Amino acid sequence: MSLAAFPFLAFFLTLGAVLAVVLDAVARSALAGAPAGRYLAGPLRQAAMRLSGQLVTTEAPDRANWRLAPGWYGALAAAGLAVVPFDEGLALVQLPTSIVLWGAVEALVVVVVFLHGWSPNAPFPLIGAYRYVATGLPVMLPSMFVLIGAALPARSLDVLAIVESQREMWNVVRQPLGLLLLLIVGLSLTLRGPMDYADSADLAGGSSAEDSGPARAMWQAARLAMLVAFSAMAATVFLGGYLGPLLPGPLWLALKTALVLVLMVAATHLLPRMPVSRMVTFLWVVLLPVSFLHLLAAGLVAL
Amino acid sequence: MAVGGTPVFVAAGGGILGAVEALRLEPALTPVATPRAAQVLLVVGEQRPSDRIALARIHAQLVEPRATVWWRTDRLSGFDLGTRAPESVSDAAAFISAQATQSDAEAILLDDAPPNPWEGIGPHGQGGKGMMGGTPYGRPMAMTSDDLRDGLSLDAYTATFGPYLTQWPPGLIMETTLQGDVIQSARIVEAPLAQDVLAATPHLELARLLRLLELPALAERLVRAALANPSRAATGLARAVRWTGVLSAIPAGLGRDERGGDVRSRMAGRLHALAAGRPAEPAAPGDVAAMLAGLEWHEAALVLASFSIDDLRRAIVSPAVRMAKDAA
Amino acid sequence: METLLTVLVLTGIFVALVLAAYRASGPRCSPWPQRLPFLGGGEADTHAWQRYHVRFYTMTLVFIAFEMEMMFMYPWAVVFVEEGLKALAEMGMFLAILSLGILYGWREGIFRWQ
Repeated sequence: MSLAAFPFLAFFLTLGAVLAVVLDAVARSALAGAPAGRYLAGPLRQAAMRLSGQLVTTEAPDRANWRLAPGWYGALAAAGLAVVPFDEGLALVQLPTSIVLWGAVEALVVVVVFLHGWSPNAPFPLIGAYRYVATGLPVMLPSMFVLIGAALPARSLDVLAIVESQREMWNVVRQPLGLLLLLIVGLSLTLRGPMDYADSADLAGGSSAEDSGPARAMWQAARLAMLVAFSAMAATVFLGGYLGPLLPGPLWLALKTALVLVLMVAATHLLPRMPVSRMVTFLWVVLLPVSFLHLLAAGLVAL
Repeated sequence: MAVGGTPVFVAAGGGILGAVEALRLEPALTPVATPRAAQVLLVVGEQRPSDRIALARIHAQLVEPRATVWWRTDRLSGFDLGTRAPESVSDAAAFISAQATQSDAEAILLDDAPPNPWEGIGPHGQGGKGMMGGTPYGRPMAMTSDDLRDGLSLDAYTATFGPYLTQWPPGLIMETTLQGDVIQSARIVEAPLAQDVLAATPHLELARLLRLLELPALAERLVRAALANPSRAATGLARAVRWTGVLSAIPAGLGRDERGGDVRSRMAGRLHALAAGRPAEPAAPGDVAAMLAGLEWHEAALVLASFSIDDLRRAIVSPAVRMAKDAA
Repeated sequence: METLLTVLVLTGIFVALVLAAYRASGPRCSPWPQRLPFLGGGEADTHAWQRYHVRFYTMTLVFIAFEMEMMFMYPWAVVFVEEGLKALAEMGMFLAILSLGILYGWREGIFRWQ
């Protein structure tokens, strides 16, 4: 454990979330053909307003689960980011199996999002919750294949070793399919765009349809935190993390994280969301075989 | 005026949808899909007097302090709350935004009582007798019933949805029985309300579909194009929408109409119309309620949005007209 | 132990943040009409909680098979380069068998909303 990593973690989460809001605003304005200012000011003002707003309850909710879900979600984002090394040896959690900890974070996101949607005892959140489980479970399989594939050349399950194995060549060059597959996983972890099965528009906001005031603000903030954590992880596993010439390691990681953020935001606004049964079929019949092939290719390259 | 949009929930009535789209673009406002996220209830367009209770429910669901604004409509009788906004779009937006901070809190119009009495009733205080009986927290629990698709007997959930669901055509009320996320049966209580000319442009019809496919930014671009000039051919815009892969995201054969078209072909037709600068071909949905039965919730919303509001209105004979026909 | 402690502390921070936000919030109590779940103006006959018809339950059984397979893949990834082609062939056979399961499931329609 390296406590010196804690300020970096806090810094990444806050600055990254702000950057994500800005990028979302820029993408929306570019696509909608309007100045970015309104998309930028809107979310910030609403967050401030909601923090002091009323916390509405439903007829018979599971209050503890409902109120704590944003906290769990944010905590998972922080725990995931804790295994990311900001520089050589500068990770909050150092384990010989730290990639497994990230895998556990991914799995628990499904549980947390489900609880968030199930607990208000209202139809739209409930449908969003079950629907998210339907896509959230199978999407974990490509994720695991991709992370295992990245661990092959490192001969270790330690994220630090995975970064060090990219000194000569980044994993994105060795395993180009991997980053693509991992981005789909990221969209699902952060409930965005084409993988937004929990908080979708056809359900008036799905799992967060009944969220009001601070609960709503915290849930949206937690989604941003998860987006940052995921982007940092993707940058670490595929873009060489803190490795780079001249600039200090944390800065390199920040730049690469920003790059992944840009890709995530672009995918959010440019790709349509399929109905859930079509997506489940797509995940099993197309994406899973593709991740088999990816692992095979990664294995052959690693040998 | 404050920077950034005031979150408003728009309760849209008839003859107004195009104007609502123009209002949505105002920087002073941010339209939201649920009253839980809204500061202001904005009631717009011609309202059916029978929707008064529904409107009162939405009003109650808003977070405190709630404010009501009426735009291009008269106050419903028995709903003596709120203020009228000026007619023009930009004046209205500024007015609505100001109401969010200035107005005094409005009281809820409905009685503060659970839907059924339950407290202290029954052996366990569940509001009734027996294992499954009673009304805990004022409402009964769901009971089992057979399923359309696999015949498993699980719980059926029956509720009336609408008329103010923003993802549905305004005014549509359906009593829907769901098992999980699949519609078992739908009964149309009220047909959607007739809308203005702008709402029937291919731009706005596509925008409603794109929002359901989680592409709100592209939808907004279409709305902006429609407000600039609805009859100009927008070839580039149609191509941009196509390139996102929307057509392949929709399953084939979803929501077959009487001419054999499905959601995908109707959307493609709208894209052709957009590129050619003409209105889309009308379609004949047939029996809308029967078409929705057996569909998953998202698919059903796509089917509804794939028809123009006029198509839906023509296919759904309102109960009053049907009764008059039966009598004759 | 250190890891557990770190994760616990991070969780504590976030839960505390969320609870502090609730503490600073406006009025807490909701009158009965406000508690009604949002249905666009409609009302529900029953509570939303139900014995939910999960349409994808057959898919989850196939999922469990793959999740178990993941457990074997972690140690496999560490020794992969030393064992070489042998390891690749072993995992390839394993995945091929599981793929047959997917194909069978697909034919039986387990990914559809039945």
